[in-house]
Amino acid sequence: MTALPLHYYLIVGAILFALGLIGFLARRNLIIMFLCVEMMLQGVSINLAAFARYRGNLQGQAFILFIVTVAACEAAIALALILMLFRRYSSLDVSKWQELREPGEEPTEDIEPLPPAPRVPPLPHLTPSGVEPEHRPEESHV
Amino acid sequence: MPHCLFSAVPTVAEWWPIALPLLAGGAAIYLLLPRPQSHPMVWGAGLGLLALVLAGALLLRGGVSPETILFWSFSAIAILAGALLVTQHNPARAALSFTLVVLSTCGLFLLLAAPFLMAATIIIYAGAIIVTFLFVIMLAQHPGLSDADDRSREPLLTTLTGFLLLGTLLFVLQRYDSRINDSARNVDALIQRTREAAQQDTRAAMDGKIGTPGDEDELFNQFNKLFNSRPDWKDLHAKAEQVALAWSDNDLVTDPAVVEKSRARLEELIVLGEQARNRLGWLPPAENTPLSNMSGPPPTVESEQVRRDEAGLPRMPAQNAAFLGRSLFTDFLLPVELGGFLLLVATVGAIAIAFRRS
Repeated sequence: MTALPLHYYLIVGAILFALGLIGFLARRNLIIMFLCVEMMLQGVSINLAAFARYRGNLQGQAFILFIVTVAACEAAIALALILMLFRRYSSLDVSKWQELREPGEEPTEDIEPLPPAPRVPPLPHLTPSGVEPEHRPEESHV
Repeated sequence: MPHCLFSAVPTVAEWWPIALPLLAGGAAIYLLLPRPQSHPMVWGAGLGLLALVLAGALLLRGGVSPETILFWSFSAIAILAGALLVTQHNPARAALSFTLVVLSTCGLFLLLAAPFLMAATIIIYAGAIIVTFLFVIMLAQHPGLSDADDRSREPLLTTLTGFLLLGTLLFVLQRYDSRINDSARNVDALIQRTREAAQQDTRAAMDGKIGTPGDEDELFNQFNKLFNSRPDWKDLHAKAEQVALAWSDNDLVTDPAVVEKSRARLEELIVLGEQARNRLGWLPPAENTPLSNMSGPPPTVESEQVRRDEAGLPRMPAQNAAFLGRSLFTDFLLPVELGGFLLLVATVGAIAIAFRRS
């Protein structure tokens, strides 16, 4: 039996890191950006665990514990930021923070309009319970 | 061949197996990123699956064992869920696919002999993800489309950036791996030839195995050439030359116990070859690395002295969590304290940021 080569794990870590990078740069929802950073950290953790395994030394795993610590700090700060953004603009869109850009920079504007939201089909109206519905007196044709 | 990763221009045969899945994956992510006028999902999903299959075919060259099957499934789930997290419009679904990424990463941790980390990651991220979910339910529930969820910043440029980075990483990894594989194959072939020579019954038969018609010391010359090809094998080169000298020594050839003594010389050569094999892919640390042996063999131990299992991997300490704790509180005591302090500062900072000033 042969073991998997080290670089297989490194490849998976690299792919997770790159996907997280793309998500962090492209997405505009602050919550998803935060999740993407967590995914980049997961990719790095796989790297460290693989090196620890293939050297027979636990120092890589000790490093992952520190990564988890930093991720927890980052989560606390990120959630506070999410709250701030939502309170001020009632939206999770980070582009609302464009006013923080450099003085000479042009603002980015969304040219393409969003398509109209699909109309929600009207739900059937149910009689509230506890009130006796109006009904005609019973008629009998017997 | 110089010992440098970027020494030569890549050949077509070297880069196309990496470039194909990368191109397919990049196109898939680009098509799937949210935007007001979405592309049909079939194209993106099909391209993404094609990229996964191509990447799997790259990995398939190794052969199948339970470990490889587990590795494939965990990594495929992680990558698929990661792609979903990046491309999903609905934040609640994105958070769910992030849980899948974390769970399959934990599976990979188990494969890498890190059970404590697996448990810790599940416990910590379970809490973190539940909190994120609460936030999603609290803040991100508005009907219809929104700027935050249905637009991307520069989808083309970001996809290009990410996949260029990924391509560079993969290319360097592949080149490094193929170098190591070539060296390993050469060493294995030479060791095999030496073993065959050592099994002969007469000195003449051994000489016949070692030399070729033009060069009677051909095997030794091959070893010398190989040991010269890598800087971390230079010391083995000198030892192999000593063995070659002892082999052709006149005293040895006229000795009555010539077969046994020649066989002993060849055994020395085999040990040298196996040392070279063990050093492949082994980064030698600095001599004065101030780390203890609490978490495994100390960094200054030579690679051939590390205990290995049948598959050739170094053995890990059996009591994983206990050794990890010892390592943390001896080698990394100051970082542990700093980590605790960082957590405190982050908590204070988060409260300060989120405090409602009326």
